This record gives sequence, C-alpha cells and structure tokens, in this order.
Amino acid sequence: MAGTEKFVEADNAEAIITRIEHKSRKIESLLKQNKPVEALKTALEGSPPMTRDERCKSANWIVVHRALMAIKDVDGMFSSLDPEYYDILMKYLYRGLSTGDRPTCDQCLRIHEKLTERAGLGCILRSLADTVNAV
Amino acid sequence: MASTLRLYLTCIRNTLEAAMCLQNFPCQEVERHNKPEVELKTSPELLLNPVLICRNEAEKCLIETSINSLRISLKVKQADELENILTKKFLRFLSMRAEAFQVLRRKPVQGYDISFLITNYHCEEMQKQKLIDFIVQFMEDIDKEISELKMSVNTRGRLVATEFLKQFI
Repeated sequence: MAGTEKFVEADNAEAIITRIEHKSRKIESLLKQNKPVEALKTALEGSPPMTRDERCKSANWIVVHRALMAIKDVDGMFSSLDPEYYDILMKYLYRGLSTGDRPTCDQCLRIHEKLTERAGLGCILRSLADTVNAV
Repeated sequence: MASTLRLYLTCIRNTLEAAMCLQNFPCQEVERHNKPEVELKTSPELLLNPVLICRNEAEKCLIETSINSLRISLKVKQADELENILTKKFLRFLSMRAEAFQVLRRKPVQGYDISFLITNYHCEEMQKQKLIDFIVQFMEDIDKEISELKMSVNTRGRLVATEFLKQFI
C-alpha cells in the first residue's frame, strides 16, 4: 500500500510542480496589475493536499510567500478573502514564522493577529492538529 | 520595534491559548505510569505539530504540544558577548530553582535558553489564563532583567576602574 503510494507520488509530483509553476506565472501577472488579494487566493487554492513530497511543498510555499509579502493592506485583504481559505492561510503563516527572516516574520505576525481576531482560536488549533495535511 | 514585540507576544499568547488543551492520559506502553508525552515522543498520534514562532533571526519560541503536556522553549535576544554570559548565568540560576517555579524545566531544550513544561496536572491546579499570563510576563521581564544586569556590570566596572586608577594619579 505504501509502495504504490510512493509510485503515485513520484508521477504526481512532476504534475504538481508544473501546476505550481503555472500558478506562479498567473500570480506574477496579478501582482503587476496590483491585485494582491487575488494573487493570494490563487496561491492558496491550488495547495497540494496530502503530498508528502518536500519539493512540492517548498515550491508552493515560495509562491504563497511571494503573494503574502506583496500584501500591504491587511484589513482590506480579509474583507475580500473567503473563510474557507483561513485554515490553509494559518498553516502557511506558521511556516513563514518558522523561517526566522525578519521581513517575512513581521508580515506574518501582522497577518496572524488579524486572522486570529477573525477566525478565532479554532483556526490555530486546526493548523496544530492537522498532521496529515501539513504544509 | 515595540510594535513587533507586541505582535510577537500576541501571537505567542494566541497560540498558547489554542494549544493548552491538556487532559490526563496514562502511558500506553507501561501500565500504571503517567508520563508527559511531549518529552518522550513515543507515539506520533499523541503529538501535535510543533510550532516555531520567530520574531527575528535572534529571538524565537518553540511550542510543542501533546495530549497531556506542552513544552515551550525560548531563545532570548543576545546582542553581544556580555549579554550572552549574563543570560546564560541568569537563566541557569532560574532553572536550578525549577522546583519553586513548578512549570520550569531543569534543562533547556537543545538550541534554546530556557524551557517550560506544562502538564495536565498544572492545568488542573492552576488557571490556564494565569499560566499563559505568567509565560508572556516572563518573556517581557527577561529582557528588562538582562539589560539591568548589563548596566549594573558596566557601572560597577567603571567605579572599580576609577578607584583603582586613582592611586596612579
């Protein structure tokens, strides 16, 4: 069972990475048009679930990071972001906080405070408890 | 600068509030034993994702949770060698008196300056909000203490040097 999973993973990994590259091109164009919230939505929605491949996760993280750093107006972002993205955004925020890079951490801390106010402690607990879909 | 400190502490406070849901859980391997699962890490189903919250390259906080225990490890900002030595001495002083603090761990986790271990028993005896307030207050006070210590070392050094060199005037 685990063997077949790995086989499927290898095939999917390439497909997922091409999809992520597609996404990053779309996001670059959205950022040029000054639409950071749309860019973030695009970055978050195609997140590969259940992938254990580190490369896919890092590739997706780079894309999300790019979109996150481009956001200047945090309150405005939340007014247009759907609640279904809150959980996955929280997971990426914690990944950003673990990097230790000063501007990333500043931005992530700012968004984290507002996101907790909006989504509550349940969002944090879901990101802690979800060991299967780790980002 | 102060605003990042406030955001950092708010983030840690929120994460702790969410993570501090502890219940009694007897050991699965050995009967009649009750061990803090976060320390042993024998069963992966009992552990939650560890979370690392960095304020910048020098300061960070690692929060690891499990079903019956929670471990918080802090790395305090150390700007120069003197602060390095003062922090180590001061925190070693506190860690050796861990019995009095109850939630303090005797040895910090590798790579960090000080660690707390909170178990379900602590949550039963003490209020969860007060525990979280204690940890956040501790983080604020540590910075103040270290800068006070540094200032007193510098003052004392200056006084001693002045007195000593007076005899050569």
